[in-house]
Amino acid sequence: MGTQTTTRRRVTRRRALPVLALPLTMALLAACSGGAADADDAPAPGAEAPAPAEPVDLRMTVWSANEDHLALFDEIAAEYVEANPDLVSSITFEPLPFDEYTTAVTTQVAGGNPPDLAWILESTAPEFVESGALVALDDVLAGTEGYAVEDLNPDALSLWQSEDQLYAYPFSTSPFVVFVNDDMLAAAGQPTGRELLDSGEWTWDRIQEVGGAVKQATGNDGFVIRDFEYAQWEILATVWGGFGASAWSEDYTTCQLDSPEMVEAMTFLHDSAFDAAAMPAPGTTADFFAGQAAITVTQISRASLLDDSFAWDVLPMPEGPAGQQNVIGQAGIGVFANAENPDVAADFLAFFTNPENSARLGQYFPPPRVSLLTAEQLKATNPLLSEAQLEEVVVQGLEGAVTKPAHPNFAQIQQAARAELDSLWTPDADVAAVLGTTCERIQPLLEQ
Amino acid sequence: MSPETLTPLAPAPGGDRDAPSSATRTDGRRRRRLPRPGRVALFLTLCVLSVPFVFPTWWMVTTSFKPISQVFAFPPSLWPQDASLQPYRDALTLQPFAQQYWNSLYIAVLVTLGTIVFSSMAGYAFARVRFPGADALFVVVLLGLLVPAEVTIVPLFQLVNRFGLIDTHWPLIVIPMLGAPSVLATFIMRQFFLALPSELEDAGRMDGLSRFAIYRRIAMPLARPAVAAVAIFTFLHSWNLFLEPLVFLSSKEMFTLPQALTQYVDAYGGPIWNVQLAATTMTVVPVLVVFVLAQRQFVQGLAHTGLKG
Amino acid sequence: MTTTAPRPSATTGSPVSRRGGAPRRPWLTYRRRDNLTGLLMVSPQLLGSAAFVIGPLVAVVWYSLHEWRVLANEFTFVGAGNYERLAADPGFHDSLRATGLFSVGLVVFNISLALALAVMLDQKLRGTAVFRTLFFSPVVVTLVAWTIVWGFLLQDNGGINAFLEVLGLDGPNWLRGESTSMLGVVVVQVLKNVGLNMVLFLAALQGVPEELKEAARMDGAGPWRVFRSITLALISPTILLVSIITVVGSLQVFAQIAVLTQGGPGTSTTVLVYYLYQQAFQFKEFGYASAVAVVLFGIVLVLTLIQWGLRRRFVFHES
Repeated sequence: MGTQTTTRRRVTRRRALPVLALPLTMALLAACSGGAADADDAPAPGAEAPAPAEPVDLRMTVWSANEDHLALFDEIAAEYVEANPDLVSSITFEPLPFDEYTTAVTTQVAGGNPPDLAWILESTAPEFVESGALVALDDVLAGTEGYAVEDLNPDALSLWQSEDQLYAYPFSTSPFVVFVNDDMLAAAGQPTGRELLDSGEWTWDRIQEVGGAVKQATGNDGFVIRDFEYAQWEILATVWGGFGASAWSEDYTTCQLDSPEMVEAMTFLHDSAFDAAAMPAPGTTADFFAGQAAITVTQISRASLLDDSFAWDVLPMPEGPAGQQNVIGQAGIGVFANAENPDVAADFLAFFTNPENSARLGQYFPPPRVSLLTAEQLKATNPLLSEAQLEEVVVQGLEGAVTKPAHPNFAQIQQAARAELDSLWTPDADVAAVLGTTCERIQPLLEQ
Repeated sequence: MSPETLTPLAPAPGGDRDAPSSATRTDGRRRRRLPRPGRVALFLTLCVLSVPFVFPTWWMVTTSFKPISQVFAFPPSLWPQDASLQPYRDALTLQPFAQQYWNSLYIAVLVTLGTIVFSSMAGYAFARVRFPGADALFVVVLLGLLVPAEVTIVPLFQLVNRFGLIDTHWPLIVIPMLGAPSVLATFIMRQFFLALPSELEDAGRMDGLSRFAIYRRIAMPLARPAVAAVAIFTFLHSWNLFLEPLVFLSSKEMFTLPQALTQYVDAYGGPIWNVQLAATTMTVVPVLVVFVLAQRQFVQGLAHTGLKG
Repeated sequence: MTTTAPRPSATTGSPVSRRGGAPRRPWLTYRRRDNLTGLLMVSPQLLGSAAFVIGPLVAVVWYSLHEWRVLANEFTFVGAGNYERLAADPGFHDSLRATGLFSVGLVVFNISLALALAVMLDQKLRGTAVFRTLFFSPVVVTLVAWTIVWGFLLQDNGGINAFLEVLGLDGPNWLRGESTSMLGVVVVQVLKNVGLNMVLFLAALQGVPEELKEAARMDGAGPWRVFRSITLALISPTILLVSIITVVGSLQVFAQIAVLTQGGPGTSTTVLVYYLYQQAFQFKEFGYASAVAVVLFGIVLVLTLIQWGLRRRFVFHES
C-alpha cells in the first residue's frame, strides 16, 4: 500500500473486519459442516417396520433404463403401495447412467440426500457393505412371512455380507456366457459354436483361431469381450478365470495380477488383439448384436438384444489351460441407513424380493433362490432361450462361479490399474513387465 | 500488492481505440516495406500457418452434413457428398438440445448482466467513493484473482449441496456473478473509473445528484468500452464453463452446451461423430458470426481482460 | 439495491462536510451518506467474495486436514496425513510431471508461435487484418467444441491421418500414444489461444519506436540483429508477463483433458486439475482432493505473485 499514511491504513483495517466477518462466518459454517452430518439414526436391527406418522415416498436408484424392467418394478411397487397404504404413498425408480452410476449414488449420499434403496454394482459391493452406510437386512428378511430365507443360495450372498450380516440383497446373479453368430462363422468357413463345443474344442485358443479366420474372411471382428473397451479391465475376469488367474487374493490384500497364470491370460488377449487380429484393437468398437462380430462374451441378460437377423447360439464359458471357470455378474439392492425411512425401505425390499416377486424378476435378473434356478422355472419367464440352453448356460453356469474383482477401494484401484494397463494394449508390449508394474502400483491401494 | 500497481491491462477511458487493430492502420509510422519476393514468401507462410486455425472449423461444418458412413471415408473429401440434414435432426432429438441451448444462453446472459451491474457498482465505489476501508476491502476482493475455480470446487460443491441446489442452475448463475470470475470485471471497471476526470462528477454534484445517481447517469454512460469488454469476456466465460456444470448438474434437461456436446455417444461410449459435430457447429457458428461482425470489440475485450479468464 | 442510494437534499448537498459545524448538523452528512453508498455499492461483490472465494478457500484448507469417508459419513482429523499421502502417491507425482510437461510445452509453443505470428503481421502487407482475424478466431470458439473437433481430427482414422495417408505418410494413433497424446493436447491448446498472445505481442511490437530500429540499421545492424537487440529487448517484459499468465492458465487445463484423453494413455495426460477432479468426484476422496487443491493453489499463488511483482517493476507498455 505504498503511498498511504499509517493512520489511514489502520482505519481501513478496522473498518474492513466487521464487514467481512458476517458473510465469512456464514460461508464457513455452511462449507465446513458438510463433512459431519448426522450419522446417528441407524435403525435398531430387527425392529418391525413401525408405521411412520404418515405414508412416505420411497426412491430406489437403478442403472437400467430399460422400459420393460421399469414397468415390472412399477408393477411390483404398485402392489406394495396398495397393500400398505399406511406405510408408503409412492415408490419411484430413478434410472442413472451406468458408467457414472456409483459416482452419482455416492454424490447423493455425500449431499445428505441418499436414496432409500439403491442397486449396487458387485465391484463396489465391499465398499458399500463395509462402509456402514447400509442397513443389515437379515432380521427384516427372516421376519417377513413366507420369505423363505433358507432358499437363498449362500454362495450368492457371501459378497454382500460382513461379519455374518447381509447388507445388500443380490437380486441379480447372472452368469457370463458366450454368444455366437453362426451365420458369420459359416461365412468364414468355420464350424459353428455348437460343433466346437461338441467336439471338445470349445477353448480360448480355438476361439482365437476362429476369430482370426473370421476377421480375415469377412472383415468383421472375431470375438469381443463386451464392455471391456480396453478400459473396464475387470471384465477380463471372464477370460482369466479359465487360466486359473485372479486379480488379487480373496482377503483383498495381495495383488496377483503378476502371477504366471495372469501373464499367460493377458498374453493370450494381447496376441488375440495384435497378432491374431481375432479381437478388435484399441479404439475400434464392434457390436455383436448388430452383426459386427462373430463371438461375444457377456452376461446372459443381454440375450434380450438378440433378434432374428442372424442365426445365433448361446454357449457356456470356454475352457482355458486351467479348465472351465464359470463367472457371474451380481447386483445387489441395499437400504441406506441415513435415508429418512430405512425401516419402510427394508420392508419394501423384503416384499420386492419375496419368492413370488423373485420369480417375476427372474425373467431379467436370475435370482439367488435355489428353488427358482431350474431350467423349468426360468423357461416360464424367458421365451427367448430353450430349456436346454437355460439349463446349460444358466443353471450350470452358476456352479462354482466366481465374481469379477471387487474391493472396498475399487474405484481407485480400477483407475490406477487401468492407467498402468494402457501400456499393455500396444503391439510390442512386454506383458509380464506391465503386469509387474501394475501390481507395484496398486498394491498400496489394496492395503489402504 | 497495492492495487494501484496491478494496473495496466484495462482499457483506458475513451479507449475506443485499441492498440492492436489501430496500429495496423497507422501509416504515419514509418515502417519499412519488405521487398516483393519477401512479401510473397510471407504471404504464403501466413497462408500455410492459417490452415490449422481454419481447417478444423471447415472440417467440423462439412462433416456435420455427412452421413455416418462417410465420416471416416478414405480418401477424405473436403465437401460432403450426399449432404444430409439428418445429423442435425438427430442432434436435436437425441438430447433436449434446444433446451440445453436455451440453458446456456439464458445463464450466460443473466451472468453477464449481473456481472456488469455488480462489478461496475463495486468498481465505481472502489475507485471514486474512497470510503474508509475501501482499499483494504478491494485487496480482499482481489484475492479472487488468486484463486482458480478448480481450487475451491470441492467446498463450492459442498456449499451448493448443503442448500439443495445440485442439479439447478443457481450455482452457475450466482457464483460467477459474485465469486471469483467477477473479480476481474470489478478490477477492470475500477481501473476505468479511476481514470475518469473528476470534473464530470463535480458538475453532477453541483446539480444535486446523489452518489448513486452520478454513478448511474454520468459514470456508467461513459464506461461503455469497459462494459463492452466485461460483457464479452463474461459471456464467453459463462458460455464455455465446463467443470462447474459437470460437477453441479446431473440431468440432461439441465445441461449447458459444453457438457451436452460431450454426450452424443452410442451405447458403448463411442462418439456419434457426425451428430456430435452437427451440435458443435450449431454451438460455434453463431459465436463466430458475432465475432466477425464485432471483431474489434472482441479483440479488445479479450486481449485486455481475458488474460485471467 | 438500486433504491437505497439517498437523494441529497438542499441542506446537505454541500460536497464537503464542514468541520465543527452547527450543533444541529444532521448525523447523515453528505460525506457519511457518500461512504454508506460506497459501502452498499461494493457489498454484493464483497459478500460474494466472502461466500464464494474466501470461505471456500479456508474450507478447502480445513478439508485437506481431514479424511472424509463419504459413504461411512466419517470426517476425521488427520493433520498432515493427506499431504504425507500425496508425497508418497505415484499418481500425484505423475500428475505433477504431466502438469509440468504440459505447462512447459504450452509456453514454449505458444509464445514462440504467438511471437512469430505477431512479427509477421507487423509487416506492411495486404491482408494482415484477415490473417489476424483467422488466427484470433479460435479464441472465441467454445473450448469444448474446439476440443471435440480436434479429437475427431486426431482419431486413428481421423482427418489428419487421412490426409497424411494421401501424402503417403502413416500417422500415429495420436491420442493413444504416451508422447503423442501430450503433444496433441498441447497443440490443440496452443492453437486455441495463441491468437490472444499474438494480439498482445502485436501491440507491444507496435510500441517499439521505428527510430530506434532505424538508428540501429544506420549503425550497420542486420535485420536479425535489429530484431534481437532492439525489438526483442524492448518487448521482453511483455514476453515475460504473457509467459507467466500462460503458465497460470495452463495449470487450470481441464476440459481439453476430459474430452480428448481422460488423462490417458496411462497417466501421461493426467494433469493436476484432472487428478483433483478424479479424486474428488470420481473417488469421492474429498479430503485428499482438497490437499491436491491446496497444492495447486500454492503453485498458482507463487506464480501470480511473481507476475504482480514483475508488473510492478516494468511498466507495461500498451500504446
